[in-house]
Amino acid sequence: MQKTWRSSVLLAYSLAVLAFLYLPLIILALYSFNDSRINAVWSGFTFKWYQALFQNTRVLEALTNTLIIGFFSTIISTALGTTAAIALHRYHYKFKTVINGLVYLPILIPEIVMGLSLLVLFSQAHLPLGKPTLILAHITFCVSFVVITVGARMEGMRNDLEQAASDLYATPWQTFRYITLPLIMPGIIAGALIAFTLSIDDFVISFFVAGPNSTTLPLYIYAMVKRGISPEINALSTLMMCATVSMVVLAEILQPRHHHRSQEE
Amino acid sequence: MKKYVSLLLFLLLSLLSGCSTGPSGTTTPPKSAPSSQQQTLNLYSWADNFNPEVLAAFEKKYNCKINYDVFANNEELLAKIQAGGSSYDVIQPSDYMVATMIKLKLLEPLEVKALPNTKGIIPALRAPSFDPEGKYSVVYTWGVTGIAYNKKFVKDTPKSWHDLWNPAYKGRLILLNDSREVLGMALKMHGYSNNSTNPAEVQTALKDLQKLMPSILAFDTDTIKQKFIAEEAWIGTMWSGDAYFTYKDNKNIGFVIPEEGATIWADTFAIPKGSKNKELAEKFINYLYDPEVSAKNYEYIGYNDPNEKSEQYHSKEYNNDPFLKAAKDYITKGEWLKDIGDALPMYDKAWTELKTGK
Repeated sequence: MQKTWRSSVLLAYSLAVLAFLYLPLIILALYSFNDSRINAVWSGFTFKWYQALFQNTRVLEALTNTLIIGFFSTIISTALGTTAAIALHRYHYKFKTVINGLVYLPILIPEIVMGLSLLVLFSQAHLPLGKPTLILAHITFCVSFVVITVGARMEGMRNDLEQAASDLYATPWQTFRYITLPLIMPGIIAGALIAFTLSIDDFVISFFVAGPNSTTLPLYIYAMVKRGISPEINALSTLMMCATVSMVVLAEILQPRHHHRSQEE
Repeated sequence: MKKYVSLLLFLLLSLLSGCSTGPSGTTTPPKSAPSSQQQTLNLYSWADNFNPEVLAAFEKKYNCKINYDVFANNEELLAKIQAGGSSYDVIQPSDYMVATMIKLKLLEPLEVKALPNTKGIIPALRAPSFDPEGKYSVVYTWGVTGIAYNKKFVKDTPKSWHDLWNPAYKGRLILLNDSREVLGMALKMHGYSNNSTNPAEVQTALKDLQKLMPSILAFDTDTIKQKFIAEEAWIGTMWSGDAYFTYKDNKNIGFVIPEEGATIWADTFAIPKGSKNKELAEKFINYLYDPEVSAKNYEYIGYNDPNEKSEQYHSKEYNNDPFLKAAKDYITKGEWLKDIGDALPMYDKAWTELKTGK
C-alpha cells in the first residue's frame, strides 16, 4: 500500500518536473498556429505565420547566414577536433592531463567572457567583423565538443585491428583511412551534428562577433522581440527547436556511449 | 608574435570569405552575375524598420546590395561601433545615443549637399537638442510619449497625467519599462523638465510614483501593445507610433497627449566613422526622404513621417489619423530626453527604489 503511495508521489513529481521543463516550449509551439496576432487569445488554427515566415526575405537571409556559418564551422571544427582527439588518445606525453583540460576548457568558460575576448582579439587584429569572424568563433567552441565525442568513441575501441592492419603491411595512411576512420565514424558524425547544432543555436558569442551581412537566426529573433512578439517569432522558434531536437536525437543515436551498440559492431 | 597571429588569421579569413561568398551570393535575384561594380551598403538598424519594397527599389536604382543587420537596443549599437571593425555605413541611434556618440567622436559629419531631400523635414526636427546643428544625424522615426487608453473601460477621456492616478484603474495600468520615461512623466506632471537635475524635483516625482505602485499591472516596453490589444491593460504610457499600431488591432484604443506636456523621442540616421562607403550611405539617406518614397515607407511602418513634402503622397487615412496628427501638432512643444550626465545615478537610484518598494 505504502509502496503505491510512494510511487504515485514520485510519478507526480516527475511529471511536474517534465511540465516545468517542457510546458513553455509546448505553449510557444502551440501559439505559432494561433490565428490571432495576440499571444494571449486563441482564435483558431492557422499556418499563415509559417507562410509569412517563408516570404520574409530578412528571415530567409538570416537562415542562409546561419546555414553557411554552421556548415563551415562544422566542417572545420570536425576536422580539427577529430585529429586532436586521435592525437590525444594515441600518444602519451608530458602534461597530458593539462592539455586535455585545456581542450575542454572552452566548454566551461562563460560564453559571455569568450564572446568578449574574441571581439577584443578580432578588433586588435583589425579583422572586419562578419561571417568569417563568426565562423572562427564558432569553430573555437565547437572543437571541444567534437574532441569529446570522438574521444569517447576511441576510449571504447581496442587497437588490435590497427595492429593487424600494420602486420599486413598497410601503410599508416591506409590503416587510418580503412581501419581507424570507419571505426570512429559514428563518433565523428555525432560530433559534427553537435557542432552544427551548437553553431545554429549560438546567441551570446555570435552577438559579440557578428558584423555586416552576418545576422543569424538567433540574433534576428532577439531583435524581432524588441518590436513586439508576433506569432511569426513563435513559428521561427518552433522550427529552430524541431531542427535542434532532431539533430541532437540523431547525434545521441550515433553516440558510442550505449554498450550494447558497441558490442554489436 | 602578434604579426604571425594576424597573418595566420588573415590567411584563414581570406580562405573562408572566398568560400562563403559563393552560396550567399545566390540570395540576390537573377542579375547576381558577378557585376564587379555592385556596391554594398551595410545598414545596422532596428528590426522591421523599413518597407521592404523601398529597400528593394533602392538596391535596383543604385545597383547595390543592402546588408540589413539588426540590433535590439542602443547600448548594443554603441558597443558594436565602439569595438570598431564592423564597417557599418548607416546606423540608427535614438536621440540620446546620438548625443553620446557625438561626444565619443564616433559619427561622421553629414554632407548637407548630398542630402537635398532632408530639407523637407519639419523644422523642429532639423535641429533637435541632441544634435543642435543637425550635423551628424537626420530624424527618421519620431513621436511622443502620451497616454493610451481603452474607451470601453476608461469613460472620461484622460487629459492630464494625474488621470493615471485614478483608483478605478487599479491593476490595469501599464508604464513603460524605462527609468527616464517614467520619472520624466512624473516630472512633467508637476511642470518640471523631464531632464531635471534637481534632487528635490526628482524626489517629488518618485513620491508620486510610489503612490501609483498598487495600480500598476506591469512595467513593460516589449509587449505593451499585446497587453492593450488583449484588453489586459486599460490605460498607460505609450509611444505614439505604438498607439497607432495598437489601434489597428483594437479600435477601442485612444491616445492623448496630456496638457502638462510630454517627452518626444526619435530614431535617426547617422554615418559612423569607419564607413567604407559614405557616398552610397548618403545616397541611401537622401533616397528615403524623397517625398514619394517616404510616403510609401511611412505608410508601411506606421510612424509619423517627418517629411512635410510627402503629405500629398500619403493616403487620406494616414493624413487624418488622429494619433499621428496629435503627435505632429505637438512636436514643437515636446521636450527631448537629454544626456543628463552626472545626474543619471540619481535617476537610477530613484528607479530602483520605486521598483523594489524601498
